[in-house]
Amino acid sequence: MLLLSGPLVGVSFISAVRIYAEASGLGGTSIGVGQAFSPLVGVWAPTFSAYEIVAVFLLPFVTIRMISGDRQSGASKLEQQAPVSVFLRVAIKALILLAGWLIVSVPGAIAIVLWLSYGGHAYWPEVIAVVLGHFLNAGLTVALAAAAASVTEHPSTAAIATLAFTVGTWVLAFVAAVQGAFWEKLAGYTPPALVADFQHGLIQMDVVLVAVILVVAGLAVAAVWMRTGLTVRRRSSQSLVVAAIVIAAAATSTFVRASWDASENRQNSFSLTETAALARIKTPLHIEVHLAPEDPRRSDLDRNAISKLRRVMQSLDVSYISATSIGLFEQTSEHYGEIWYQMDGRKTMSRVTTAEGVLESIYELANVSPMQEDTEHLFAGYPLAQPPVWAATVFYLFWPAVVIASMLFFRRRNG
Amino acid sequence: MPADVLFTVSGLSKTYGLVRALDDVHLTVCRGEILGLIGPNGAGKTTLFECLAGVQPSDAGVVVPDTQRPDLLFYMPDGISPWADQPVHWVLQYVLGLYRGRRDLYVDVVNRLELTSLLRTKIAALSKGQRKRVLLAIGLLTPQPVLLIDEPFDGLDLRQTREVAATLRSHASLGRTLFLSIHQISDAAKICNRFVLLSNGRVCAEGSREELARLAEDRTGQPSSNFEDVFLALT
Repeated sequence: MLLLSGPLVGVSFISAVRIYAEASGLGGTSIGVGQAFSPLVGVWAPTFSAYEIVAVFLLPFVTIRMISGDRQSGASKLEQQAPVSVFLRVAIKALILLAGWLIVSVPGAIAIVLWLSYGGHAYWPEVIAVVLGHFLNAGLTVALAAAAASVTEHPSTAAIATLAFTVGTWVLAFVAAVQGAFWEKLAGYTPPALVADFQHGLIQMDVVLVAVILVVAGLAVAAVWMRTGLTVRRRSSQSLVVAAIVIAAAATSTFVRASWDASENRQNSFSLTETAALARIKTPLHIEVHLAPEDPRRSDLDRNAISKLRRVMQSLDVSYISATSIGLFEQTSEHYGEIWYQMDGRKTMSRVTTAEGVLESIYELANVSPMQEDTEHLFAGYPLAQPPVWAATVFYLFWPAVVIASMLFFRRRNG
Repeated sequence: MPADVLFTVSGLSKTYGLVRALDDVHLTVCRGEILGLIGPNGAGKTTLFECLAGVQPSDAGVVVPDTQRPDLLFYMPDGISPWADQPVHWVLQYVLGLYRGRRDLYVDVVNRLELTSLLRTKIAALSKGQRKRVLLAIGLLTPQPVLLIDEPFDGLDLRQTREVAATLRSHASLGRTLFLSIHQISDAAKICNRFVLLSNGRVCAEGSREELARLAEDRTGQPSSNFEDVFLALT
């Protein structure tokens, strides 16, 4: 995992910097194209996305090797007899794995240093958000794999179970895109959705809380199933208790609305003046959207307006109405495409799905007019037309060489 | 029953599906003795040890007094390679730390079990006999008053068997109770003070060599000084 993390991050980083540089004017593209470029979108998200691959395809096997390996070697039989709580032992193993994850994160840190050495800009809150998102994702992976390794008899079964869960989250995301409603909400708490939020610089407290609860639950289930001295029935009932607590705690957490937009370009928020204007509206707002889940206009509306509105307006209620999932055969329907805004008995309708259009309807309904936009604080972007010099050498040669040399050193030192 | 009873086991039973591995097992363990658990392959010796150690659940049965098992006994399984990627010295130090083990015995145990030259060798690289000696060292360094060892002589040559037997005896003389599962009756006869004979999950007899010989004589009507004959007569 350590060996591969360098080249994986390297591929992503080099590709991201090249595209960023080309868009910023390197190699003959029109100067000015990259003026609105954000390093978060252009560099950090794609570079650190390599860690999503590591978390899905490498970290589970390292975790399973650690947990199942102890059982197969007989070490777990000895550790069970130690005067140390099984929960503490599992927590220590998880901490060791997460410490390993921090070491695996070193190539990401190298990418940041290289970017700064090119003259690139880093807005630290958004960098930290991306790193934190991948760290939480790693925690979820460790907890899931540890639980799978403890519950199943064989490491390969644990690996299949872990990958099946991962594929299951992808299926859930697909179902959510088609069905919307409850599935959409549920899919928002899966690891891919969590990482996507953080990669956009959005830190949602409910998502973080659910992730932490799932991590604790996974480790608790792992601990329960490590106690082989208990009957399977007792371990099953304890697992069910854990599951019940998790469902209750996670369901409660979904009501937490706090969130932070860590992105420098406020890509998850309206502008400061719009936010101030919306915050003045205390009357509950109901929005009725007549668009199918798979209609691209609904995605635009959700991404550009609804998700931002939810973060500003406390009394917002959105309902979606459609007869089909794709909306193709509803186009001729009289009301399809309508977006109704209702506030304090007043109603207005629009078909516009852009942020500006939505805000215009709300302002009209609430009889509010936003202040003049402060152009001084508008995000101007950080174009950088620099090629990724030395990156290939660092990630493809230097990093693997250091890892191999370290492995040989520790192997020799340990005899 | 001997006076200095450390704990007794009553009604211990365990089934795997339709197979009854342990059937209403009763036995007594006394302070400072070397108790041999004797039985053929498949008799339920390992299952009995694992149930006693709490490594696997039993279906029924009690241990009196009902103290916390990790405080009372330590079980060393047979044929395991724990922490295989680590060198011997790391494993022994880890065990000392994990179990708050007997650091005062470390040098003596390492010397007696001839582990000095193996301290920097990884567990995975050890031979069967070397690994067995490391496992014995782990067991001897743990602090619990009772040490259960599954097949302590398995994989050892004659000289090593004698060395290990002497080491175990010396630890017993220091007050530690040893409960050894041994399928080689001749090995058991050399080291144990008392014996529990187990066959098909049931305790067939329990006592000293002389007591068992008398029981066998009562059963067959013929006296025997050969412990193997005694075992065959009682199981």
